[in-house]
Amino acid sequence: MKLSNRYTPKSWFLHCARAISASLVLVLGGIPVAHARDIPTAKGIIQVEGTPQRVVTLSENALDTALAVGVLPVGTVATRGSDTVSEYLQEQAGTLSIVGTAREYNLEAILILQPDLILASQALSDDVYAKLSLLAPTIVPAAGTTDDWRLTVSTYAHALGREDEIEHVYKELDVRIATLRERLGEPRTVSVVRWMPQGPMVMSSKIFTGQLLHSVGFKTPVLANEQGKRPHSDVLSLENLSGIDADWLFLATLNKEGADTLAAARKQPAFTRLGAVQREHVSTVDGQVWSGATGVLAANVILNDIEKVFLR
Amino acid sequence: MNIVSRGPAFVPGRAAWVVLTILVLLMLASLAWGAGSVTPLEAMRVLTGQSSDPDARFVVGELRWPRTLLGLLVGAGLGSAGAVLQAATRNPLAEPGLLGVSAGASFAVVLAISFGSGAAFSGILVSLTTLILLYDQRSADEIRFWVIGALGGHPAEAPSWSVVGTAVGLLMLLPILRPLSALALGESMATGLGLRPRLTRAWALLCVAILVGTATAAAGPIVFVGLVVPFIARRLVGPDIRRTLSLSLLAGPAFVLFADIISRLLIRPYELPIGVVTAFLGAPCLIAIVRGRRLPNL
Repeated sequence: MKLSNRYTPKSWFLHCARAISASLVLVLGGIPVAHARDIPTAKGIIQVEGTPQRVVTLSENALDTALAVGVLPVGTVATRGSDTVSEYLQEQAGTLSIVGTAREYNLEAILILQPDLILASQALSDDVYAKLSLLAPTIVPAAGTTDDWRLTVSTYAHALGREDEIEHVYKELDVRIATLRERLGEPRTVSVVRWMPQGPMVMSSKIFTGQLLHSVGFKTPVLANEQGKRPHSDVLSLENLSGIDADWLFLATLNKEGADTLAAARKQPAFTRLGAVQREHVSTVDGQVWSGATGVLAANVILNDIEKVFLR
Repeated sequence: MNIVSRGPAFVPGRAAWVVLTILVLLMLASLAWGAGSVTPLEAMRVLTGQSSDPDARFVVGELRWPRTLLGLLVGAGLGSAGAVLQAATRNPLAEPGLLGVSAGASFAVVLAISFGSGAAFSGILVSLTTLILLYDQRSADEIRFWVIGALGGHPAEAPSWSVVGTAVGLLMLLPILRPLSALALGESMATGLGLRPRLTRAWALLCVAILVGTATAAAGPIVFVGLVVPFIARRLVGPDIRRTLSLSLLAGPAFVLFADIISRLLIRPYELPIGVVTAFLGAPCLIAIVRGRRLPNL
């Protein structure tokens, strides 16, 4: 997939609109002074003052959000299974300093960056939080991964002092979703599966990708709907593979090994028996986005993929 | 030194029949039970050719049968490798997984142990692995998914190529069975008998590497099989490697099939990786061996 396909012409309009409104504000009211804001987080109300200049994002969702509202962080974490940020964010993120992985952070590297705001993930442990909050206000979103994904994104955006920008981005996304929903016509069932060496894992329809699929009118299989608070299932027995059958099957791969595994899976007799496979209604998609990411930019990548598949 | 610390619990021949019967029953069970909706009764109808349900025939013939074959091969490979490794190192706690005999490290381990500095070299390998994992977060993150083996989800042709590797490994064992059992008398005694202990050991470890490498390539790493199976076999037929090995060839598949059946039934419609189940079954066994009054001398 080429990076250039990922951004719609609309984001140009957004940039122009943003530039115009920014200059209007400059002309009419002088330099805007962001007030101290109370951000409700999982660790209570955190006060953030002014417009943070040196932001460290400790989750990919936070990085996605920062970039979407025009903030370039000074440091971030590598995505799962890689030593860089997710491919879909690389162009915009450039060469950010990497201060850890999704689960482990290098506190010294964060200290050196002298952050004035740290955007962490829900999974941040209490003792690391205690240390990080000494360096800078640290935002741990209160909403979980199975709650409305925009709650977490809004928390990050508000902490960044970009309430207006994120509302604008939401509006744009809503328009895109509504248009797509209309163009897609009658509802289809779609299945998102990550194939591991041990077999397939069903991605929950309650997490970001599932929420997005539902918003454009797709339905998801029962197995994806009953995952509770877990992001994905255990390995599904091949005997029950028909449980992932759908009008269209999206297979998420995280990396090269994943792609190899998938190539092997495609030869499985149980796989070739699926209705979606026999109708050749199968797409391989970037698992870093489809089975791992959350955020506005990720949403646009997924919508691009959906358009490519269904509206050719 | 006591060669036989305790008499065998069974007459060897009878033990073999008992284990063989259990193995056959487990094979039938492996075809009868799965995480899916095909019941044992329906599976038996398929096996006797009375079923007309194409789904049931597919599940039994294309999913459960190749998986059972794979379990047999992996179990035979890991069980026999464990028995040989324990005899070659004269250590009843030796386990292919514990010594790090995997596709990549196997040859180095073979060289290292045969040149006498086993523990030290093993330590170096372990620290190297740790070093790589520390420096490459990506592998540390990723490796979790690849370190637990599973019998499901493998290409249908996996049994056919792993049968070759397993057969080669087992055939290569034949010429060293007698020298291996003489090793139990002690190195000097074996040398006095005109044998070459180092050569025997190196050859044995090469066979172990082939057997374990084949099993791991086919199903991923499955721990504790190589420890538990020879232990049970020794309890049943005594410490002579030829008897232990023959019985391990039956008990290994039985253990793996048993663990695999459990792995399918615990969290239906999903499955646990078999490596998790063997670890759960094997860990208490390891504790029992270590806490036992005396370790058997090999």
